[in-house]
Amino acid sequence: MWRSLDDKARSAEELNRLAEEEQPGGFMGDLVEPSTLVSRRAILKGSSIAALAAGLQGCLRRPEDIIFPYSKAPENLIPGIPSHFATVTARGRDALGVVATSHDGRPTKIEGNTAFPTSLGATDVRGQLYVWDLYDPDRSKSPAKREGGALKDATSDEFDEAFEGLAKKHAADQGAGLRLLAPISNSPSFRAMRDKVQAKFPKSKFHTYSPVNDDNAREGARMALQGKATPPLYDHSKSLVTLSFGSDFLGKESGSVAAARRFAMTRAIAEPDQPMNRLYVIESNFTVTGSMADHRLRSPQSDIEWYAKMLVIGLAGRGVDNLGALAKVLQADLDPSELQGLELEWLLGAAADLLANKGRCIVLAGASQPPRVHALVNAINGALGNFGRTTFFGPEVDADEAASVESIASLASDSEGMSTLVIIGGNPVYDAPADVDFARLLAREGLTSVHLSDHRNETTLACSWHAPLAHELEAWGDQQSQDGAVAVQQPLIAPLYGGRSAIEFLAAFADEETTRGHDIVKATHADQVKKDTKALLGLGAPDKDTSPESVWRRSLHAGILFVPKGTKPPVALQGIIEAFAEKKPRTLVSATNLEVSFEPDNGLWDGQHANNLWALELPSPMTKIVWDNAAIMSPATRDALELENGQMVRLKVGDRQVEVPVWPLPGHADNCITLTLGWGRTAAGRYGNGKGFDVNPLRTSDGMGFANGVKAEALPESYNLVQTQTHDRMEGRPIAIDATLEEYKEEPDFASYRSVEPVSTPPLWKQQDYSEGYQWGMTIDLASCSGCNACVVACQAENTIPSVGKIEVERGREMHWLRIDRYFVGDDQDSPQVAVQPVGCQQCEEAPCENVCPVNATVHSPEGLNDMVYNRCVGTRYCANNCPYKVRRFNYLDWQGHLDDKWAFYGDFPESRKLQFNPNVTVRMRGVMEKCTYCVQRIQEAKIAANREDRTIRDGEVTTACQQACPSGAITFGNLNDPNARVTKLKAINRQYQLLAEIGTRPRTTFLARVRNPNPKLEGKGS
Amino acid sequence: MSSYEAPIKELGERYLLPEGTTAHDVTETIAGVTETKAPRGWWLLFLLSLSALGVLGGALGFLVFQGVGVWGNNAPVYWAWDITNFVWWIGIGHAGTLISAILFLFRQKWRTSINRFAEAMTVFAVLCAAMFPAIHTGRPWFDYYLFPIPNQMDMWPNFKSPLMWDVFAVNTYLLISVIFWYIGLIPDFATLRDRSKNLVRKRAYGFFALGWRGAHRHWQHYERAYLIFAGISTPLVLSVHSVVSFDFATSVVPGWHTTIFPPYFVAGAVFSGFALVTTLMLICRSVFKMHRVVTVRHLDLMNKFMLGTALLVGYAYAMEFFIAWYSSNPYEQWVFLHNRLGWGILDSNGNWGPLWWAYYAMVFCNVVVPQIFWFKRARTSVPIMFIASILINIGMWFERFVIIVTSTYQDFLPSSWGMFHPTATDVLTYLGTFGLFFTLFLLFVRWIPMIAIAEVKGTLPGAHPDMHAEQTQEAPGAAAAPVPAE
Repeated sequence: MWRSLDDKARSAEELNRLAEEEQPGGFMGDLVEPSTLVSRRAILKGSSIAALAAGLQGCLRRPEDIIFPYSKAPENLIPGIPSHFATVTARGRDALGVVATSHDGRPTKIEGNTAFPTSLGATDVRGQLYVWDLYDPDRSKSPAKREGGALKDATSDEFDEAFEGLAKKHAADQGAGLRLLAPISNSPSFRAMRDKVQAKFPKSKFHTYSPVNDDNAREGARMALQGKATPPLYDHSKSLVTLSFGSDFLGKESGSVAAARRFAMTRAIAEPDQPMNRLYVIESNFTVTGSMADHRLRSPQSDIEWYAKMLVIGLAGRGVDNLGALAKVLQADLDPSELQGLELEWLLGAAADLLANKGRCIVLAGASQPPRVHALVNAINGALGNFGRTTFFGPEVDADEAASVESIASLASDSEGMSTLVIIGGNPVYDAPADVDFARLLAREGLTSVHLSDHRNETTLACSWHAPLAHELEAWGDQQSQDGAVAVQQPLIAPLYGGRSAIEFLAAFADEETTRGHDIVKATHADQVKKDTKALLGLGAPDKDTSPESVWRRSLHAGILFVPKGTKPPVALQGIIEAFAEKKPRTLVSATNLEVSFEPDNGLWDGQHANNLWALELPSPMTKIVWDNAAIMSPATRDALELENGQMVRLKVGDRQVEVPVWPLPGHADNCITLTLGWGRTAAGRYGNGKGFDVNPLRTSDGMGFANGVKAEALPESYNLVQTQTHDRMEGRPIAIDATLEEYKEEPDFASYRSVEPVSTPPLWKQQDYSEGYQWGMTIDLASCSGCNACVVACQAENTIPSVGKIEVERGREMHWLRIDRYFVGDDQDSPQVAVQPVGCQQCEEAPCENVCPVNATVHSPEGLNDMVYNRCVGTRYCANNCPYKVRRFNYLDWQGHLDDKWAFYGDFPESRKLQFNPNVTVRMRGVMEKCTYCVQRIQEAKIAANREDRTIRDGEVTTACQQACPSGAITFGNLNDPNARVTKLKAINRQYQLLAEIGTRPRTTFLARVRNPNPKLEGKGS
Repeated sequence: MSSYEAPIKELGERYLLPEGTTAHDVTETIAGVTETKAPRGWWLLFLLSLSALGVLGGALGFLVFQGVGVWGNNAPVYWAWDITNFVWWIGIGHAGTLISAILFLFRQKWRTSINRFAEAMTVFAVLCAAMFPAIHTGRPWFDYYLFPIPNQMDMWPNFKSPLMWDVFAVNTYLLISVIFWYIGLIPDFATLRDRSKNLVRKRAYGFFALGWRGAHRHWQHYERAYLIFAGISTPLVLSVHSVVSFDFATSVVPGWHTTIFPPYFVAGAVFSGFALVTTLMLICRSVFKMHRVVTVRHLDLMNKFMLGTALLVGYAYAMEFFIAWYSSNPYEQWVFLHNRLGWGILDSNGNWGPLWWAYYAMVFCNVVVPQIFWFKRARTSVPIMFIASILINIGMWFERFVIIVTSTYQDFLPSSWGMFHPTATDVLTYLGTFGLFFTLFLLFVRWIPMIAIAEVKGTLPGAHPDMHAEQTQEAPGAAAAPVPAE
């Protein structure tokens, strides 16, 4: 209206007059001359300016050096349409190629990169988690310096001045007093900058430390592969028999994402006569890999070496001549009395299976196993002809880098006049081995310590200077996976708090010409790109331009720079024989001589995600404990130690001790305890501080993986541990259905036979016609699902699902739309099998929730979705009562502000975290019901795209967040009306069944029953 | 009329009030309560109730401000004390209508002494009940979505939902109960108006008396209207609780999905309603010295009623187990044998269902305790029936708790099983509803004739056309209902 007035108006006076005519009182006066009057229009005007400013702010968060007005928007940027960038995230010495989704300049979601060999399109839990860390409200927001015993904020200029001062100082003494410490890096540019620093300061020393690392595998490879530190890489899709010596290769080991995808390829069979792999696992803790095993043997970690030795001897005795020499040495040392209690029959059964599948099998060892076991595993794989068929080797990197434990120990004991210590990332004060007193090192008189870190963590607080480190999504970089593939780490957003990347800091320190991350990375790969132009041309969109610049751009787009060919090093038994020259007696565990294993946490990892709300509330896959860690032990050990669930126990090795609550896990090895790293942080941030228990004080240099000789002492106090699932058994109900391969062959339709036949009651009202258009449906294959949790976080990230805090989880109010049910099955109470089942909304055709909603807030869409209309929901919760799957989640309180016992008011929510929210998903207010929607926003997005091109959605064009993240590809989603869709074909597989079919809900999500493949010759020998 | 209204002297019946009681005496006694200063006891009780009402206000304020999470409700127990209290209060609200309307239709004149009282109780109990569905929603400010109000948003309620039926059933019941109660009050308001000595009272009672002059035509219309509303109310007694039971019966939840629910709920409602009427009547009877109006014979009859409904309820409990067994539905068997009975099925760890005690509390209070009413001595002993009626009220609360919570906390998928723990706000909200109930009740006792003046006058010997014929006889019988000599 007033635009037309404006057009008519010739002058301010006229405008006023017209306005007066239009609305007596004269609101236009406000526009012409300032007034204290606040009219509705003025408020609208103000808010629109605020909205505009907010929009501009969004644009400013682009990693550009020059700011353009939005009228010259970045290419291809359409407001409201997300863009996707290929980038990469570090996994120690490995890397995971990912694709980040960006909404108007805000990265909101991470997906796997199909082109990258370690991802194959999927991610792990941490791949989903790390976008949250970008928006962590407790990230360090400015440099800081120590003043009067405390860390005070400092300006960037102050820090730069001091940092340059240090560089100048050490330029004079050639870096004699300079030490640098960084976590293990997988970045070629980092290595390049590290070399530059060392070239500039030749007397300086560079140390490396990561609390969770692959040093044992590298050392084992050195022994077996003529000194080459290349840990083996496995292609599980080529393997029919896999034997794991304590390796959680589907869970926490590096490369687990691709391993899970490939493992599922020969696992999820469509017909009983297809080849199906078999998995043997020997492990102490019950891991997700163990839950996938056909034969699982629980054993102390220290006994695994003995199993490996016996396997070598057993194979050699059955005609594997290549192992003869090694077996001879091992056998010579063997005292038969030492083999007491080992399940050798089980092992020989596995050995026979391996022998029958030479070249189609894999033997692998866990990261916490000593190098000798890794060496044996390499020897076995080599001897079984697996090299080049199931077992591969990447390029050797950082060949002369010392193992983390040695490196940090030598740093701590370095007394040669260290005057400056620059720590790039990491948190050694918290996670260094217990026998390395890192805090004391930092407290040394006269030592200037600089910590470059994303958070002001325990280490930062002990340092003299600090500057914020940029998040992976904020800075240029490059990373290399273990198989040699390189990807460029692209920034999606300008550093939120002015942080810089490690390579930028190092370049500045080395006084390099350019300190821009982008230029450094480009320079690192310039030669490679020129050399490999031809090989790289296939990447990305076809382009006639073959200049290096074009190739570079294309590789950025594809998210992969180049993949070198794997090598096939020969096995040299001599190195292994030397390693076993020193005889170590077998340690027998008992209730008074316990074994403690250390494992990174499922979500928090080594503590780097300790403030991550998604990680904190992520149920541990086996125990389902959230917000805490515990001393996990078998029920038998708990009883032997006379402990109660949740009772505090003091674990002691020598004079080191930790106090942790006890939690039993059936299937855990007896007299062994598993402790989880990453908890008990004191400077993690507002969410992570004081959560769980720090177990690092028990973790020493010689027992980073596991330690023996631990004593347990019961304490009187007990601690409240909270689980998302409190009942572990199916109580004889047909829920997560499974059968052995033999049974599957006998009864190919066992799934429908063992579940209850769906009832068909006469309809109460007019049936909808579902024969036209899209009909969405999903299958979840229980044969390949390991219960790793990636889907749970993916769902949380995609759908803006709040974490509610420990107290609320205990009340049963967790909000995960997708949960993974875990049941113990089998008659053996001590060593049960595990059945996992992801359950989200089943999108029932006859949905019990829909009928009972008094306000029509949950209704059926013509495409078969059970839609939730948040605006209509008044929150009677009747729908949730009537949902037999209990997948509906209610906002009992304002979860966006309420956490634990903190009462919140609206808006009490960190601004930075709002940037992560998916703008295509409504943020639900309290009092509203919510649930899985099959990612309806993604369906709509695909539909819009398809409609614009006047076609229908193609199969695979819409993936739900859980499906996209799932490493094992267990979830399939698609249009049931499309006869060629993958989901339609899977629905035709005879393993298909409906959960709780007898209620007659006709769910659109159906399950494919699990098939186990036990060795018929090992009947009854270990589950 | 005399054939059934006059006492049957062969049976030893007498008139309700002693001989020589005049209409003026009745007016003085009943209207006097509202005209004199309130006794100290009233003030004490009123302040107590008002404080409890304040607690309710606080609890509700907290609830609305923070959300339903201030209660112990969770997943899978999405309904807990909120709906338990709702069903309990609405059940209590049944006795009033039953006593008033059904006994009126059956010409049970003895109801005259308690009907006003019971009707008031009904109205207040239904108010307390109706509060819960309104406040238990996540966003109570949008409760109007539940009503079919034409609106620009093109929204319409879902008439398939039993909760929708509930909205209509409860509101209809509340409306009819209030109207029925009010119609009975009109002649009495007129009496109070006529006795008023100040303008305020005169205006206030005059307003509610709707210009009643006691004309013949007025009485004719009044009697007809009262009869019609008694007729409308009677089926509502059956319908409202049947509809409430549909909330559960039409769901798929094992333990709720039961066809026996409508009659079972109605029987339970009458049972609990009589129990609360007994409790309150015993208190008022002794506080206001109404032993002559509310006789032991009345109480004896009430107790017989309770015994009968207790047997019905007990039968329903037993039948649920039979059906669970007969259906061979493992989920239903689990709910009854594990969740309720406890030891009927043990879980795979050998544990009883953790909420077994609620079921035993219910059976003890609702089935075992009323059995004492087989004995006349118990039926006529005020202390025994007082304790029994309170236990029955507790038991009926547990019945609803058992149905709602022990069905949902362990239902189909063991992975989702949970537990329920009430919070302080749960307890305070429940206690607060007593504040609401008793505040209203005490105001009623103070400002409204708590016994129907006009109706009681109708039972006086002088109100009967054949009075003069029997005047010479000794000891005239009671009005209609058999009221024996004390």
